[in-house]
Amino acid sequence: MAAHTSFKDRHLIAVIGDEDSITGLLLAGIGHIDEHQKKNFLIVDSKTQISTIEAAFQNFTERKDVAILLINQHIAEKIRPTVERYQQAFPTLLEIPSKDHPYDPEKDSVLRRVQKLFGE
Amino acid sequence: MEGLFFNVNNGFLEGIVRGYKTGILTQSHYASLTQCESLEDLKTQLSATDYGNFLANEPSPLSTATISDRATQILVDQFNFARSNAVEPLGKFLDYITYAYMIDNVVLLITGTLHERDTHELLGRCHPLGVFDTMPALCVATNVEELYHSVLVETPLAPYFRDCFSAADLDDLNIEIIRNTVYKAYLEDFYNFVGTLGSPTLEVMQNILAFEADRRTINITINSFDTDELTKEQRAKLFPAIGRLFPAGNNALAKADDIDQVRQVCDNISEYRSFFEGSTSVSGANHDVGEMGVATQLEDRFFRMEVHLNKQAFMQQFQYGVFYSYMKLKEQEIRNVTWIAECIAQDARDRIQDFIPIF
Amino acid sequence: MSGAGPRENVFATRMALTNMKLRLKGAETGHSLLAKKRDALATRFRAILKKVDEAKRKMGRVMQLASFSMAEVTYATGDISYLVQEQAKLATFRVKATQENVSGVLLPAFEVDRVSGSDFNLTGLGRGGQQVLRAKEAYAKALETLVELASLQTAFTILDEVIRATNRRVNAIEHVIIPRLDNTIKYIISELDEMDREEFFRQVVACNNCAKVQGKKKRDKQAITEGEANDVQALQVYPTEPQNEPNQEVELPDEPNQETELQDEPNQETGLQDEPNQETEFQDEPNQETKPQEQSDQETEPHDEPEEASVDLLSSRDADIIF
Repeated sequence: MAAHTSFKDRHLIAVIGDEDSITGLLLAGIGHIDEHQKKNFLIVDSKTQISTIEAAFQNFTERKDVAILLINQHIAEKIRPTVERYQQAFPTLLEIPSKDHPYDPEKDSVLRRVQKLFGE
Repeated sequence: MEGLFFNVNNGFLEGIVRGYKTGILTQSHYASLTQCESLEDLKTQLSATDYGNFLANEPSPLSTATISDRATQILVDQFNFARSNAVEPLGKFLDYITYAYMIDNVVLLITGTLHERDTHELLGRCHPLGVFDTMPALCVATNVEELYHSVLVETPLAPYFRDCFSAADLDDLNIEIIRNTVYKAYLEDFYNFVGTLGSPTLEVMQNILAFEADRRTINITINSFDTDELTKEQRAKLFPAIGRLFPAGNNALAKADDIDQVRQVCDNISEYRSFFEGSTSVSGANHDVGEMGVATQLEDRFFRMEVHLNKQAFMQQFQYGVFYSYMKLKEQEIRNVTWIAECIAQDARDRIQDFIPIF
Repeated sequence: MSGAGPRENVFATRMALTNMKLRLKGAETGHSLLAKKRDALATRFRAILKKVDEAKRKMGRVMQLASFSMAEVTYATGDISYLVQEQAKLATFRVKATQENVSGVLLPAFEVDRVSGSDFNLTGLGRGGQQVLRAKEAYAKALETLVELASLQTAFTILDEVIRATNRRVNAIEHVIIPRLDNTIKYIISELDEMDREEFFRQVVACNNCAKVQGKKKRDKQAITEGEANDVQALQVYPTEPQNEPNQEVELPDEPNQETELQDEPNQETGLQDEPNQETEFQDEPNQETKPQEQSDQETEPHDEPEEASVDLLSSRDADIIF
């Protein structure tokens, strides 16, 4: 089982988020910069291009050492089609609320599926 | 005698600052601010105060950071007005105020340089009060050594850096140690400077600065309890050699291992005794939580003390303390407003009263 | 008719029939097992769904607390975000994946794996260090919730996938494989039946022909006119028998013993044993068919009872065949 061997190596938490969320999460100690100076977090502000977010999203989901990918919901909203398309089990994609954008369960891709299943 | 000629040079600015002071938000303002349902409400409420329509051109949705930035900008404008109209030695005194922010900015640039970032983008993050003309010149530096020399040449902070570090130190030491070492040097220098201004500025300012120094000493002690990165010898070096705790208290704090020892030291100073009041009962069964609680409470009490001292500065006429105090009070007010904004934005109504009212 | 619809491409042999029956049994066992698995997974899935829903909502609250603690930090120390970003080097808050087995599905579960130490021990040294510490804890707590949620969500995604696969299999077995096997079995049985009937008919016709031929020879010698009449009668009788017999044969598959015996040893010795059975069945219908025989028997050997006579007739006939 290929997934079996690969998810054992996954131990990092990656984040795409606004500055405050990332600062907090980094304080908690998730920040990791590897030998190639690659970070496991991306700070998104109003000036960040959508393409940059998309690229980071692709990058994090393809990395083999990332177990969980956190993304601020309002940022996920910007790249919603990509997020909707994402079906892999690893890394797990979690949409998290940010300071200025309280959590809205209606927008969460996974929760929407949950509710669809409950609705049936 | 001082009072006789004070107004010739500084009367105008003192009048201005005292005028500004009356614009500081009062309890009734805060009462209406805390009733706001949204940041838009807050904006409306603030426009009825001295802040005016400072948020008028901000696009919706409003963020707390914007509110804080704009409010700070008002303060900076006021300060710069005073600075441009100041006559020596008030000008020098005002410059000293900016050094504190300058230290933060330089430390920021050092961090950037250490991690080989493009420091130009850091300029936007610098505190506007600490911006100096030659700051872009520092960004040219590509390594720490170059930066070190630029700091020596281009900034008024040169003596602090020169006395405390070599270029190699910047590389090795934790950035926080650098910051606090420089800050210590700055505080001592400022203290000495106000000493040259003579009474009554001397009394007012040294009182405030002594508290500032002691506050740092206590904070550094508490915050370095459980770390290996700061040895006790290093800790002792960060304590400013001024203040009420100096020298006996500082020595004791340098060896302190837990918050109880800090309390014992502070008990010797009548002004500081109240900091730990009511906390004895807390630390007992649940020691960790108690300690955390005491420490956070402490920060709050420091802020209250600071406000109290700065308010007192306005009681005296014919001295420079009002300028410093106004800056500090206004800073506290910006913190308060930001705090209220955060509470509203994050819907944390139960904490909204935790700001420190000034008047 | 049996054999309509899709079926396996096999020759209608007993071997194939046995195989098919085994396969059908296997498919049915598999179906019930998979259905059980599906139910077990579905139970688990519902539990997880509920938990995911709860955890997602809980996360909203925890994250709010965490970001509020960040506001406290900003209040006490000012903006520290850049410092924090630059000082991050090695992750101290990591996760470890473990596995949990639910009905044969390996569900990964993440566990928090915190290394002591931090890149930010001295952050806020001069001011606000306690707030930073609190924010650190608040975010660590929030992260724990997030990690828990991540486990649930991964389990959710994987289970969703597995349940779908299981459902596909269950449905495939139920609606494709089992009907197909059923059809194949029906087809084989009908083919075999057909072969039996052909075989029986062939035997009967063969017997008849033999009897006719033998009888003819004998009767040619003994009494041609009588034999002639007898034969005509017998011919009239026997062609009717095969017509009736299929009716009886159709009942026979209900008694597989007889059938298997019949079919397993299709030689003449069993034929000998079997025929008396058929004879007894004949007796159940003591109608015209036997009468002509009796008549003819009485004509040939007029001293016996009808039963024995018929037996004799048959045995004599068989004997004739043997001869």
